[in-house]
Amino acid sequence: MTLLSLLDVSKRFGGLAAVSGVSFSVREGEVLGLIGPNGAGKTTLFNLITSAFPPSGGSIRFRGEPLEDLKPHAIARRGISRTFQNIRLFAQMTARENIMVGRHARSRAGIWRSVLRTRGQRAEEARIREKTEELLDLMGLAGCGELPAGKLPYGHQRRLEIARALAAEPGLLLLDEPAAGMNDKETREIRQLIRTIRGLGVTVLLIEHDMSLVMKVCDRLVVFNFGRKIAEGTPEAVRGNPEVVEAYLGREEDDEDA
Amino acid sequence: MPFDWLNPYHLQVASFIFINILLGASIYVTLSTGQLSLGNAGFMSIGAYASAILTTRHGIPIPIGVLTGALLAGISGVLVGIPALRLRGVYLAIATLGFGEVIRVVFVNWESLTGGAVGIAAIPQMGRETLAALEKAGFSAASVGLRNNQFISLTVFLLLFAAALLSILFFLRLSSSRIGRAYAAIRMDEAAAEAAGIDTTYYKVLAFCQGALLSGFAGALFAHATSYISPADFTYHRAVEILVFAVFGGSEHLLGPVFGGIFLTLLPEALRFISDYRYIIYGALLVAMMIYRPQGVIDPPLIRRLAGRRAAEGAGR
Repeated sequence: MTLLSLLDVSKRFGGLAAVSGVSFSVREGEVLGLIGPNGAGKTTLFNLITSAFPPSGGSIRFRGEPLEDLKPHAIARRGISRTFQNIRLFAQMTARENIMVGRHARSRAGIWRSVLRTRGQRAEEARIREKTEELLDLMGLAGCGELPAGKLPYGHQRRLEIARALAAEPGLLLLDEPAAGMNDKETREIRQLIRTIRGLGVTVLLIEHDMSLVMKVCDRLVVFNFGRKIAEGTPEAVRGNPEVVEAYLGREEDDEDA
Repeated sequence: MPFDWLNPYHLQVASFIFINILLGASIYVTLSTGQLSLGNAGFMSIGAYASAILTTRHGIPIPIGVLTGALLAGISGVLVGIPALRLRGVYLAIATLGFGEVIRVVFVNWESLTGGAVGIAAIPQMGRETLAALEKAGFSAASVGLRNNQFISLTVFLLLFAAALLSILFFLRLSSSRIGRAYAAIRMDEAAAEAAGIDTTYYKVLAFCQGALLSGFAGALFAHATSYISPADFTYHRAVEILVFAVFGGSEHLLGPVFGGIFLTLLPEALRFISDYRYIIYGALLVAMMIYRPQGVIDPPLIRRLAGRRAAEGAGR
């Protein structure tokens, strides 16, 4: 089952083609890795999927519906959540409050219900708190709930951002370099977390530079270079692809010139 | 008379505290989404003039005049809030300050409607109207041991107290709901808030509208407490005064500007014995605040500490 499909998607910034003619699809339940050198257009692709800016061409469909005309918050409501490459938590809020904000898309109490504290509103808040505690536990953040998010250690901040994204109960989770800047132990924890997340039935689209993590956790990979897709397939198939090797290591002639 | 100590002057100062609490809360609500609006003196004047004109010239009852004034201010808040979405920080502050001045100049020049620079006098006063209505029903202030002017001031005090209390409770509850969390999220990181499913456009305009509505409400109550308004009541001095409530009291929790409104209304009164020098102390205090406690007197950690102590005491009992 195709969950997300990109067809001939392009994005130009002035004269720079950040993404050109990219097509691939994400299947329900898989962990799909997006890899490629820095500047290959991976994060741009995330921004296109979440409508942070519109594509210059092509179409993006989620569960068969086009996403291009929706605003980012509407996309989050449809079930796509994301984390950011440079962690973007609500720093002065507590960890718990960060996750509660993440629940926004799955709650609905308006002004009057919130002020009058109706039965329905209180039940909804109780559900938000319950879900928040579950996520704190799941992400190994139990005990950090009352700490300001900005004061948490780096690894915890990464996990808190994932927890906030999961609070919206997304069908598709976009993770932008979750293991960046982490040591081996923390990277192993992230690997475990991604498996746990998949176990929850959440499809994961993962941007990551840590190759051992990518190879171990992804079902399939899509490889980018200079804004184009250069390969797609299982980790084993991609690893042997000469074009991919070239993108990462350079061409042999280049080596000889040097 | 048994209540001779009840001084109408003191009651009047106390009544202005409640007006200023509402104004402090009004700047906070908009600011809680990260938008600094200095247009609240303008929204206040819209509420004040609308209610004053309706009640004085068209015989509309005060409560309906006040509600209409607040609503008109709220609608203007939406109209200003939408283009304001494009502006941030100091640019938004300047644009909204400009809006307030434009409104004031309109009121100065639209003489047929507003009485121009002279303003509107003989606005029905809420205390006097209440007494008149009660007297018609056979009540007299003397029957509860009060002089008429004491009764009038006390009524104004109690009505404004109720208005301030209800408004504060309204916004305290709002701020601890999903809407308050959305406001805070937008203030801290708009893009992350949007990605978390928060319609930032809607909530920013909503917060702008609520701030304007609250200013208009305060303005309408002001008109019916003093029974005289003129454009001089709504100059940029007023806008800055409201800003100072938030700067001094604290802008990260609703109770900050509320405290600022109370303290800074009382301070000049308490210092009246040194007459002209009192504004020097007022200014020195603000400078000292900027140096030693730039976030304002009241900030969320302080609230948590106070709440925590109370919870601990409760548990100890």
